[in-house]
Amino acid sequence: MEIPYEVTARRDTGLYNAKIGVWLFLASEVMLFGGLFSAYVFLRVGTQPGFDNPWPMGINVQKIWPGFINTLVLIASSVFVVFAWVALKERKWQVFQRWMWGVILCAVIFMGFKAYEYSDKLLNHHDVKLVDNSILGGKILDRTHKIRFAAEEVTVDFSGGIPGFIGEIDEDAGDVEFTVVEGADEDDPKTVKLSQFKKWFSTQRREAMAEAVAEKMKRRKGTWEEGKDEPAVTKAKLTAKFNMHVDPHYIVQRNEETLNYRDRTTVKGKLIDDSIKLELHNINLQMIPMQQQDAVLAWKLIHESTGNDDIKKQVLETRDSRIEGIKKYYEDGVVPVKALRGPYVNYHNLHDSHGHDHGHDHSHGDAHAGDHGSEEAGGGHHGETIVTIPRDQARFVTNHGPRAGTYYAIYFTMTGLHGLHVIGGALVLAYFLFFGKRIYLKNPEHLANRVEVGGLFWHFVDLVWIFLFPIMYLM
Amino acid sequence: MASSQEELDRLKKSYVAVGAALFVFTVVTVFTAHWWHPFGPVMGWRDVVLGLIIATVKSSLVALIFMHLNHERGLVYKVLTFTFYFFLGLMALTLFALFDPIPEAFDAIQNALR
Repeated sequence: MEIPYEVTARRDTGLYNAKIGVWLFLASEVMLFGGLFSAYVFLRVGTQPGFDNPWPMGINVQKIWPGFINTLVLIASSVFVVFAWVALKERKWQVFQRWMWGVILCAVIFMGFKAYEYSDKLLNHHDVKLVDNSILGGKILDRTHKIRFAAEEVTVDFSGGIPGFIGEIDEDAGDVEFTVVEGADEDDPKTVKLSQFKKWFSTQRREAMAEAVAEKMKRRKGTWEEGKDEPAVTKAKLTAKFNMHVDPHYIVQRNEETLNYRDRTTVKGKLIDDSIKLELHNINLQMIPMQQQDAVLAWKLIHESTGNDDIKKQVLETRDSRIEGIKKYYEDGVVPVKALRGPYVNYHNLHDSHGHDHGHDHSHGDAHAGDHGSEEAGGGHHGETIVTIPRDQARFVTNHGPRAGTYYAIYFTMTGLHGLHVIGGALVLAYFLFFGKRIYLKNPEHLANRVEVGGLFWHFVDLVWIFLFPIMYLM
Repeated sequence: MASSQEELDRLKKSYVAVGAALFVFTVVTVFTAHWWHPFGPVMGWRDVVLGLIIATVKSSLVALIFMHLNHERGLVYKVLTFTFYFFLGLMALTLFALFDPIPEAFDAIQNALR
């Protein structure tokens, strides 16, 4: 059956049907992204200095070049799509194919840079908010955001799920062999290997739960004989020696000898180390009132790690010179409170003479003076300053994922949704490239119309990025 | 809609010109954000406005030339007019919320945190 108005326009609308369809769809897309853009405005303007995590300027926390290249890539792909459409209008199938390949390539490049940006944020950038709200930014080294613990004894609770601790045992411990000390039946194996642990636990749990139910039934019926009937055993104690890297989120209570997991597992042994080692990249004091900024915990920890106050001196000098600049900039107007909270100071830029600095910091002769001393004292590799932060001094440890603050949350939401649109658009256009020949041979104008409609969606995706790039990366 | 070869050639030229303009505007956006400030890391409202104006010009070019909105049928404009007003309404809701700080509740929070 022939579907009407796929090629020719309807007389009342003057358009072929797919075009009306795609414009209505794009209208709904405008509202979808519009909702997110208004959420962005709401979150950004509603950030309370001193109360909320500071809203960073994109240019301070983003690498600009991947976003910049991606903008150019999307613009190029938009040009390619319209050229592909023109090629169909000119009835040149091979030319159409070439332009379409260009579009698909652009989509792949775009998503490649996106993947690079996401992984960089999630793996290489961390913030440690200290108990006094000063924030040290940088990269956490050697998985030190986890608790290092030497375990000797484990008590598992069968009323819970599979114990999480088995995923946190160091890889070099190999296939650890546990010895069952208490809580399992005599005919059960006396040892259990790590690789068999889940299976062992499931079997034991089934038995333990059956026993517990039987006990409950007896007690309910009143046939339970105290002293004669044995209560159900719902826990088992095992021994083995291994080292662990433990995620603090799974721990409800801990001390030097014990870790109590949320899943009711108890691990006993000895705490090896529980301090975070951070390769320092920046210092953010925007949550601290200006008059208290020279006495924050961050300086104490940096002093303890480097043995001197050079970084503090550099950062506060830079802060003061920038605030002078801000006051001059707002000479004829009112200086925003947020600006006077003190800017985010990127230590990397102060410290690395090859960095991309936005200000005049390099003109300070003494800006680099303290570096060599601090490197040696801090024991950093690649000339970095390493700060050791005891866990009880850290209020919040995070990578630059969505949980790092409202900026990152809306960044990942919007760019993630946009990325899904890129993938969707590329799939539709790839379909025309690989399976469009049949339609083309039947009626080239039909395929041209389809490509036009697919192209409209693609241009819309480009259009959204044109706004996303400056608001997320630059402002 | 384009039908003759001359018209298609004219379209191709306009696409190249718009593509080039978009490239240039992108460079200008990054340039202004990077080099305007004597002190770097604070964005004034002028810069935000400038950035958004450049973005609006770029997106208008995409919409008018690439999406053919410079010569489209009336029905499409009707759909977009509705969308535009709904979009304004959406942004207005945000502004209403921002300019309604509920002073008592806000003070209570501040006192509690003090």
